[in-house]
Amino acid sequence: MSDRELLELLERFHQHQVTSAEKRELQERMAADPVFAQRVREAELFTAALQNHGQQKSLRDRLNQHHQAWQQENQKAAPAAAPVLRRRTPIQIFMRRYSATMAVAATVAIVTVFSSLLGMEMWRSATQQQTARYVELRREVEDLKRKQNAILSSSTTTPKNASVNPGQFSGTGFVLTSDGYFVTSYHVIEGADSLMIENKSGTKYKVEEIYSDQVRDLALLRVTDTAFTGFGKLPYSFKQKESDLGERVFTLGYPREDIVFGEGTLSSRSGVYGDTASYQISVPLNPGNSGGPLLDDRGNMIGVISGKMLGVDGAAFAVKSAYLLTLLEQLPEHRLPKPISLPKVNNLAGTSRPQQLKKLQDFVYMVKVYN
Amino acid sequence: MIHKALVTDAAIIEGILQDDDMALSRLYKLHFPMVLFFVQSNSGTEDDAKDIFQEAVIVFYEKIKAGQLELNCQIKTYLYSICRRLWLKRLSRSSRFSHGMVEDTESELAPQVEDDVERAEQNELKFEAMANALGQLGEPCKTLLEDFYLRSMGMPEITEKFGYNNVDSAKNQKYKCLMRLKKLFFLDYQVPS
Repeated sequence: MSDRELLELLERFHQHQVTSAEKRELQERMAADPVFAQRVREAELFTAALQNHGQQKSLRDRLNQHHQAWQQENQKAAPAAAPVLRRRTPIQIFMRRYSATMAVAATVAIVTVFSSLLGMEMWRSATQQQTARYVELRREVEDLKRKQNAILSSSTTTPKNASVNPGQFSGTGFVLTSDGYFVTSYHVIEGADSLMIENKSGTKYKVEEIYSDQVRDLALLRVTDTAFTGFGKLPYSFKQKESDLGERVFTLGYPREDIVFGEGTLSSRSGVYGDTASYQISVPLNPGNSGGPLLDDRGNMIGVISGKMLGVDGAAFAVKSAYLLTLLEQLPEHRLPKPISLPKVNNLAGTSRPQQLKKLQDFVYMVKVYN
Repeated sequence: MIHKALVTDAAIIEGILQDDDMALSRLYKLHFPMVLFFVQSNSGTEDDAKDIFQEAVIVFYEKIKAGQLELNCQIKTYLYSICRRLWLKRLSRSSRFSHGMVEDTESELAPQVEDDVERAEQNELKFEAMANALGQLGEPCKTLLEDFYLRSMGMPEITEKFGYNNVDSAKNQKYKCLMRLKKLFFLDYQVPS
């Protein structure tokens, strides 16, 4: 069967003009001959495509018309949007595609840079603070020391004494009046539950807080012990006026279990950050010295040790005695169980330093703080 | 909302069955912007969107006409999934980097879509091949065949128009043209195996 005959047959087939005999013959031949079947299928496909072509063409034309109508409607609505969409440079395309990623990357970079800068700055300022920092010299009694102490005292003294809690903090304090008033730094007794004073010879008294001045860092205590009979006559007096620059000064204190002497000069009449209420002194001090008395060559009490500057050589500070005296003057009468009568006579003037210290050391106590 | 959409869908299908041009117009207005947006946001142009959408609509239209359409979703969804698939296929073909199919998680939702996509693509190929073949055929064969097949003119009319002696020689001429067209057509179009 030639191609032409086949096409004619299919055409008639399409117009339903084939006889059933022809149809059967065609089907049988297709079943018998696969090559022929392929040809028939191709021819069918071709004729179908040709016949479809007209319909599809008109359909496409109509769709194009609708598209144009739609375009006109929408172009009117947004005439500016279309040209922008068309004319896009490669850079614009790149930016459009990666702008989100770039924004995220930039944000991360900015955050990282600023946080690291900030961190460095904070770190630097923190270390700077550490190099020149004012510290209060109250001593923290560590566990280790407590144990060591316990071992030491158990071997030397009675076991009863060894079990005594040495307290969590310690500082130094000195006698204000012979009838039981006692002075130390406020930060030594800060947050204390109970207070105990103990001197070199082992005399212990229980004391209570009468008044404290947080700003001037001073605390007034009073012995409450029933066994207390009086401190005895005080060898030093209190200086009202400010001392001069360069004066030789010394202190006694308890930076450790034993009393320690420290000597230096008065190096400035103002304290840390220009504080006129204190002196700067060049006395080597350690934690535990706080609250100790600062005396001049003639044995006048001129200040109360308060703290030192870390990272600065030889800069320790003491609250001026004038401020202690004004504090005592300003104290309301009713807060005091007994009026304060300060010692007027100075027994230390003119004697040698070891002589002075011998007299002094009975009046300088270690303040133990329990909390 | 859904109810309204269903009513609109039914009206469009009814309109297409009755050869109402308004139905196509509505179809276009309702659903083309969605396809346009999809194609444009996936590195295509408006012309691409137009081609894709029209391919989908032709399949849709022919299925309605043939009564084969089984919609189990809205027209919008149906057209969108076909257009999406068509465009992704086209993208993956033109892409230099991905030789495989573009991953499409939604394809499993509508198994029927795959057939329709195949059909739309074959349709397009056939149409282009036929248009090419007709273009290369030359006169008077082209007009003759177009008159007969596309404009459905009878053989006697054609005989008269082209000045043939009788209907038989016109028929003769027609088959010669047809054979040539067939040859040209199959040069362009590969029968899918």
